[in-house]
Order: sequence, then structure tokens, then C-alpha cells
Amino acid sequence: MAEPLVSIRGLTLEAATRRGVARILSGVDLDIGRGRILGIVGESGSGKSSLANCLLRLLPTNVTRIAGQVDFAGADLLALGEPAMAEMRGTRIAMIFQDPMTALNPLFTIGTHLVDVIRRRQPGLPGAQALEKAEAMLRHVAIPDPRARLAAYPHELSGGMRQRVMIAMALLAGPELLLADEPTTALDATVEAQIVALLEALRSEVAGSIVFISHHLGLVAQLCDDLCVMYGGTVVETGPVTKVLARPHHPYTRALLACEIEADDEGRLVSIPGEVPDPVFPPPGCVFAPRCPHAEAICHAEVPPLRAAGAGRTAACHLFERLP
Amino acid sequence: MTAPLVAFEDAAVTFGKLRALDDVTLHLPRGAITGLVGESGSGKTTLCRTLLGLTPLSSGEVLFDGMPVRTHLARGARAFRRRVQMLLQDAVASLSPRMRIGSALEEPLRIHRLPLEEGRERLIGILRRLGLPEDIRGKYPHQISGGQARRVGVARALLMRPEMIVADEPTAGLDVSVQGELLNLLLDLQRELGLTYLLVSHNLNVVRRITDRTAVMYLGQVVEDAPTRELFHRPAHPYTAALLSTNPAVQAARRRARIVLQGEIPSMLAPPSGCRFHPRCPVAQPNCAIDPPALAEVEPGRSVRCHYPFSLPLPA
Repeated sequence: MAEPLVSIRGLTLEAATRRGVARILSGVDLDIGRGRILGIVGESGSGKSSLANCLLRLLPTNVTRIAGQVDFAGADLLALGEPAMAEMRGTRIAMIFQDPMTALNPLFTIGTHLVDVIRRRQPGLPGAQALEKAEAMLRHVAIPDPRARLAAYPHELSGGMRQRVMIAMALLAGPELLLADEPTTALDATVEAQIVALLEALRSEVAGSIVFISHHLGLVAQLCDDLCVMYGGTVVETGPVTKVLARPHHPYTRALLACEIEADDEGRLVSIPGEVPDPVFPPPGCVFAPRCPHAEAICHAEVPPLRAAGAGRTAACHLFERLP
Repeated sequence: MTAPLVAFEDAAVTFGKLRALDDVTLHLPRGAITGLVGESGSGKTTLCRTLLGLTPLSSGEVLFDGMPVRTHLARGARAFRRRVQMLLQDAVASLSPRMRIGSALEEPLRIHRLPLEEGRERLIGILRRLGLPEDIRGKYPHQISGGQARRVGVARALLMRPEMIVADEPTAGLDVSVQGELLNLLLDLQRELGLTYLLVSHNLNVVRRITDRTAVMYLGQVVEDAPTRELFHRPAHPYTAALLSTNPAVQAARRRARIVLQGEIPSMLAPPSGCRFHPRCPVAQPNCAIDPPALAEVEPGRSVRCHYPFSLPLPA
């Protein structure tokens, strides 16, 4: 890979809970290539949303420790002062959330939201021109009757329309890094298809990179260039999405793929036995070892490093070369 | 074909001006799994509620075992509710945090005034069958895992020895790594006990895999009702085709082109004239805006509410 836009090394995040200190992320290494769409998949609690929140440094107050480096175009995001970080958010790094209702202010019109974003980039732009620009962007994301929508409040729009507004805001910001955290999960199937088609059509307009977080492997396979599989607060496998899905190295990726129900499948349904690891008492070795059908003594004793596994690929498994 | 266990006949539910269910005719065969799919507001939950007798019909009839649900309820609501049990979506939330699992499981016995001793024996048999330890009865919901909570929900439904289980989104919110276990359990129980299921789900992969028949709803109406295999292989209604095409496969070789519909689901308060799907239908003809199509049999055992069935094929 050429020089990545974002290079994450040893990212560790801990938070205080009633039961003790929970390890949310433990030593995450990940590169986000320039101009690529990276899909992050993993189950609930795997740390995928926390990873995105680290990139924006929007963390809950119970976080007790954050360590490692997050290099973004030459700057370590974890070392930046709060004013410099605030300058990044919504300009160079933007985010689309799962529920746009929580990200839009119910007291402001859609026009105000969009003009605010435009003004951050062009503070001196006259109001009429800013509104015109906002209207053009709403039309661009296929919102019908965009002029009337500028005066609408968030609650007056459907979920799909609100998500289009979020995408319009992200495009107006022109970020180098766009984070999309389950952007279609709350939408109905036919509306989800519309948003995915819109994202596909717009991807050439986002000059930077996109991180697409989802639990929907099919959607990630369709939309993304690269794939990052997370489990128990660690990255277990990365690589080009078609290569990883065609021949996954890590036993967890394999197990996850086997659980997917695809057309023509027959016989018993597959699940992964056991439970996800407890973040307060993570296992001593490989975080997947307690559920792994291939685990050996070393897996229960030593944390496997994320290491090179073929062209552009990595895997965190002691045994992947020897797996059948 | 033997008489269906459940028959919705021209069933309708109106709330003021809103027609939540409109002209629904649907038969659920005995001992089979029928899947119900459709987007939010299509009437899936209302349909389930009318079957359970929780929402009265405005017109039409829901027959259970040949007798209207309202007659069952009038003759003895408890007896009827033993025969039809509901499996709730959020198993953990449906357990009281202050009640031990054992008490939660025995509550139906008390409500239905069944002898506790006999009920407890039955309960232990069910727990064993579901792979739950007997001592789980002494625990509180926060002390058991999510997987165990789901099995407790199944145990509670089975305790009444129902003939039918209505499962509303049983896998929603479940990670893919654990949904298989729950679905296998539901399939095994259906075979062992001859249960009839109505399974509501927005997960098309789940419906495709475990159901015998599938009914598709749109804006309060059943638009297609067919054997699952045929419906997924060759959808007859354009909405079914569009819905199926939105489901991306993981492996590139199995991926299809998507049919992206225009617009969003119209308001139930002002449903479109003619065919309710016509404003979004890629193959609508002029008469679709005027004449409402009836649910008609296009092949044996297969009904479609469309003037031009099979005119929108699933993309390659």
C-alpha cells in the first residue's frame, strides 16, 4: 500500500465500569489507504464504533486510558490539543451516524444545518449564496423539492431523507476522512438500497477515504475496497475485501463467514459456540482462542501479533499458515 | 391440502382513518413455518396481533382451527392463549429483572391455573430439552447469558404446549454468530412437536432458509403469498423482486444487480389509488394507477396482488 491516510498503531482504550476496568480496544494496528473505502465488521462489543470514535476523539467520560498513535496525514490525533482537534471535526474528518435524528439539532432547519457546514469552510460567504449551495447539494443527494426542504425541521423528514441530509452535510464539509457508522442499519430495505446506491454514486466525489462500519457483511462486500475484521477489541484480519472473503486466514473470519446464510445453503445453520470475551477479564492469549476450533497451547498463552499474510493482507493468528 | 390452522379471510383493521390491515387473505398451513416479510408500517405486527386476539378486526375474520378467534376468546380466552404462544423479540427485556428465572417460568402455570407440581415436571423436561441447567431457575436475568435468556423465552412459550408460535423478529438485534443456534432450536422443536409457526422477520436470509411459505406485505396488504423456494427463485410481484434484490450476497459470484425503487413508502393515511405499489413500481402500466388489483392465484398455491405478475424478473 502507498502511504496510508491514517495509520493506527497500538491503539488501546480502557474504560471504568462498575465491575472494573474494561479493555475496549487492545493494541489496534490499522492503516486506512488514501481514497479507499475500508469496511470494518465485527459483532456487538468488538470495538468497531469505539475505534471510529477514537478517530474523532469523541469518547465517553468513563474512559480512563487511551494509548498508542493515530497518525492522520502527519498529525498524531491523540497528541493534538482540544482546540486543534475541534478544528479537525466536521472539516477534515466527518462522521455519518446510525441515527441521524441524534446528530441533527431538532430546533434548527435543514437549511441552517447545511449553511453552518458551508460557513465553516467559507466564513465570508453571503447568506443567499450559502443557501443556494445548500439547495444544490440537497438536489445532488436526490432529495425531492430541495428548496422547500431547506425550511423543514429534522422531524418533518423521513429516516431515509434525514440520512441523505447527513450525507449532504458530509459532502459539503469535503473531508479527507469520512466515517460512516452503520449508516443504513435503521432504514428499511428498499430505502437502504437507495442510500447504498447513493453512496456508490458519490464515492468518486469524496476525495479522501471512507470508513464504513457495519455488521452486515454482504453490504460491506458490495461497497468496500478493503476489509478489517474486529473481535473482542482487536483487529484479527485485514486485506482487500474480495481476497479476505474468498479465502479468509483467521479462524474468526472463517467462522463469521460460515454463519452467514446464503442462497442455496442447506442443512443445519451454523453458529459460533461460546460467548464473546468479557472486556473486564479478557483471556490471556488470543482473544478468540476460547471459541476457536484450532486453538493450541500457544494460543491460550500468547497474544498473536497482527502480521503480514500475503499481498496487502494481515492476520492475527499464531497458526494461520498451518490451518487446513 | 388439509385445512389450514389459521385463515385470515378478508381481514381488515382500521384505526380511525388509518387502514392498518386491508383485505388480507392468508392461510397458514398446519405444521408449517410461514414467514412474513415487509417494511415498517406494512402491517406485519398488526396481523400478528389480530391472530393473538390483541387487536380486534374491523371486518373480515381470522379463523384458528376453523373457528373465529373472537369466538375462541368469548368461549375462554385462557384456553385459546395456551394454544397460540408468542415469542418476543428481546428475550432479555421480556424477563423481569426482579424475578428469578424459575418464577418467571412458573408464572404462566399460575395464570393458567395449572397444577404447579405437574407443571414443574414439565418445565424440567423442557429445560433439559433446551440445554438449560436446572439451577438456572434460581438465577436472576442479569446472571444468565443472552443465549440462555433466549432459550428461557422459548421455554416459557413451550410450557403451555402450544400448537402455534408467533415469533416477531426473533433474530433482530442478534449477532450472526448466535442466530443459527436459535433458528436450529426453533426448527427442531417444530419437527418434534409438529408446531405451526408464523415468523415475522426483515431478514430475508433467515426467511429463505427456514420457512416453508412466505407472505410479503406492503402498506397493509399481502401482495404475494407463495412457497418460499419459488418466491425467492422467481418472484411474481415487482415489490417482492425489488425487496429480494436489495439483499447483497457476501460472495461476489452470488451478487445480483439491485432494483432501486424510487421514492419512499407512502403514508398509510393516504394510500395511493389503484395498486398501492404503482407510484414506485418500475413496470407500472396506466391502469395500475386506477384499478386496485385483487390477490389472485397465479399458480397452484401461489397468490399475487398484481395486474402484471412476473413482469419484473430478479436481476442476474
